[in-house]
Amino acid sequence: MKYADRIVTAFTACAMIWAVLGMMAGVYVAAELVWPTIDFGQPALSFGRLRTLHTTLVLFGFGVSALIGTAFYSVQRTSHVRLFAPGLAWFVFYAWQLTIVLGGASVMAGWNAGKEYAELEWPFDIAIAIAWVAFAVVFFGTIGRRRMEAIYISNWFYGALIIVVAMLHIVNSLALPATIGKSYSLFAGAQDAIVQWWYGHNAVGFLLTGGFLGMLYYFLPKQAEQPIWSYRLSIVAFWAFVYTYIWAGPHHLHYHAVPEWVQSLGMVMSLILLAPSWATMVNGIMTVSAASKKLRSDPALKFIVLSLAFYGLATFEGPMLAIKSVNVFSHFTEWTIGHVHSGALGWNALITFGTFYFLVPRLAGAPLYSAKLANIHFWLALAGVMLYVLAMWGAGVSQGVLWLSLDQLGEVRFSFNDVMAAMKPYYALRFIAGLLFLSGALLMAVNLARTFAGRRTVEVAPPAGHRAGAPA
Amino acid sequence: MPVRFSIASLSTVLFRPKAVFEALAAAEPSAAKVFFGFALWIGLLPAVFAYIGTVNFGWRLGVEPVFLPQRTVFAISVAYFLALLLGFLSSAVIARWMAVTYDASQSLGRCYALMAIVGAPLAVGSVIHLYPHVFINVLVLVPTLIWSMYLLYRGLPVVLQTGPNRGMLMASALIAYLLVAAVSLLGITVALWGSGLGPLIGN
Amino acid sequence: MNFLSLHRRIERHTGLLIFGILVVSSIGGLVQVLPIVLDDSHSMPARGVVPYSPLELEGRDIYIRESCSTCHTQQVRPLLAEVKRYGPYSRAGEFAYDRPFLWGSKRTGPDLARVGGKYSDAWHHVHMTDPRAVVPASIMPAYPWLAKRKADEGGTIEARMRTLRRLGHPYSDADIAAAPAALEGRTELDAVTAYLQSLGRSMQGEPEP
Repeated sequence: MKYADRIVTAFTACAMIWAVLGMMAGVYVAAELVWPTIDFGQPALSFGRLRTLHTTLVLFGFGVSALIGTAFYSVQRTSHVRLFAPGLAWFVFYAWQLTIVLGGASVMAGWNAGKEYAELEWPFDIAIAIAWVAFAVVFFGTIGRRRMEAIYISNWFYGALIIVVAMLHIVNSLALPATIGKSYSLFAGAQDAIVQWWYGHNAVGFLLTGGFLGMLYYFLPKQAEQPIWSYRLSIVAFWAFVYTYIWAGPHHLHYHAVPEWVQSLGMVMSLILLAPSWATMVNGIMTVSAASKKLRSDPALKFIVLSLAFYGLATFEGPMLAIKSVNVFSHFTEWTIGHVHSGALGWNALITFGTFYFLVPRLAGAPLYSAKLANIHFWLALAGVMLYVLAMWGAGVSQGVLWLSLDQLGEVRFSFNDVMAAMKPYYALRFIAGLLFLSGALLMAVNLARTFAGRRTVEVAPPAGHRAGAPA
Repeated sequence: MPVRFSIASLSTVLFRPKAVFEALAAAEPSAAKVFFGFALWIGLLPAVFAYIGTVNFGWRLGVEPVFLPQRTVFAISVAYFLALLLGFLSSAVIARWMAVTYDASQSLGRCYALMAIVGAPLAVGSVIHLYPHVFINVLVLVPTLIWSMYLLYRGLPVVLQTGPNRGMLMASALIAYLLVAAVSLLGITVALWGSGLGPLIGN
Repeated sequence: MNFLSLHRRIERHTGLLIFGILVVSSIGGLVQVLPIVLDDSHSMPARGVVPYSPLELEGRDIYIRESCSTCHTQQVRPLLAEVKRYGPYSRAGEFAYDRPFLWGSKRTGPDLARVGGKYSDAWHHVHMTDPRAVVPASIMPAYPWLAKRKADEGGTIEARMRTLRRLGHPYSDADIAAAPAALEGRTELDAVTAYLQSLGRSMQGEPEP
């Protein structure tokens, strides 16, 4: 009996394709903010639709494909069994990719449920739910069949991803369909806002954070050839994380028409969230720091380790932005966008890149085609993220301060249009940053494709004898 | 080549960092000499440039220039210098604290020297503060920052004698600290402004 | 049984792990979300707030289709500078018929919560068709197709209003039956303009702070 790894390859390949396409959409919309007429009067190229395409492709195309692929790879190896129901796993693959293709097309055609990161309309919501349930069955089925006594920590995080995202998706998507492409949310106004940001923040929490922590907890110790630094810390951090993250949603609604108590509660819990988030970061850093001096320095490890630095930044900046006196300035500005991308690019993309640079040679049974290209990618990625973040910090703080400035007569000092015009140079910098990051990703796609082209047949079997309780 | 950390060696630090890294690996400088002979002076540059630029040109955030009273500009420049000082000292101390974990040199002098070299491009690049247009400053200082980060990755393994892999790990950990410190500064500044302790931009 | 030993049991049992995650992750929502969703005071329409007319509803659905919320917010915060700039701050009761809510999360362009009545219909027509004709520095995309398309080309307005009625919007049978006629001869641009002109109208006449 061998591990089912062809499906991991399939998800990895699609993840790279969506990464490139999604980032291209991102670069295009960044360009549209500088040159607004490059939609050439075409509805499908209009900023609003392309931005939705961008978020859909990077989150649900790139992000979820990377998560499912790495989940299937690691759950087998931490359970010492072949994937449960491989046929169903292939159903997950095809259903998910088809949903992204058709969903992406629907977005360009104007189908939009009107809620952030949940724009796909009700037929896709149903398709997502079905694919997700199948994912859950395969994943938990594999764990259920494990030959290891304890469930390894990376599986708790992937498990939390599956369960919590299911809960969030079902509740936030509750709507009555009016036509095939249009539905109306069950919730309205302020109540809808509360539900949406309970969903939205925890999509970040459990998809972008929790799921990728699962990736971290498997691939980092593997690359560093060290066990996780502190098992106890990881337990406390996990449960504190699952409990606390859920409460942070209302920090998206400071000074909005929702009750004061829920805003304050969201703020306090966001601050408390810093602890479990950083506990995991410390665990990761200490794990890798114990790595043997003789460990060959390879680009994959560089990416994963740097991603931890950006994880630290993003999980610190988040609670900071959740503080009302900071939020007063940052809300609705480019600062929030900078924060999103320090996490999305610096943490999520970088850890995925590192993981793929490690994983693909193993799937292919061949060494990475070019370590040099990977190192160039590293610097392109770092330069891209830093330029993006600093441009958005500059823009965002300017916006926030200028919008709130009053003159000596107590009247608004700067017109909205003037402040908006002042943002243009920053948008140009952000466009360049995106190009840098995208070009790095393109180099990676070529590198991985070439690596795979040189593949030999690889089949790995679960170990015959093993100590119960030890991870793979 | 003996390491003399004075302003005179600034051009060597900027243009031949490799030689400086190797010299530091060989001979341990004194923390006090690094600080009082070099770091303190280049650390003053951003604050001085910012003061001159703001007084003459005002803050330019892309709309009409904002002119602040000279006393306010002086106070802000002093605060800026102190923040940079705190950043420099804390980074060096934290590098020293991390040294045990990464099997690095525990010489505080070397940590000071490394952080001074890393900060040197930014200190020199801060000449752009003479024209305090936020966008222009971002445009100049981000590439400068990338250069500084590159010096950190290149220099740390040599200066702190960790070897390439541990050096990369430690450099990344330091970057984590620096990113968090930078964003904290942003948040604290903004929160203080909101509470009234800050310049009145509108006036 | 202490926390650590409880976890040891959970990590040896798939079902317990699933259950544990479900329970722990539900608590936040039960405390924060459920009470607000069950409390009608957050969904009670404020005085003067009425359901969207067919033309306004069509305009709103186009606003959603074109993802206008990506750049425009509809939420004036109770901050002095914001109230000075836009008008009275937003109250929950104004959004009783907003499905979904469109408060937005980014202000690339100005907030629209109080835009109703600020500009003429003609201004909106020119602005939507070519934003730079009225705001030279604007980076807003142009929407020339709105003037060329008939409102409710798919003929779904009645179905949509019926769905909203099922969700509690007080549309009468007569309202719904009259809807197609109300859209007769109108373009999508007319619809979006009507929607924009409706924003904030329930708060018009409020005294300045």
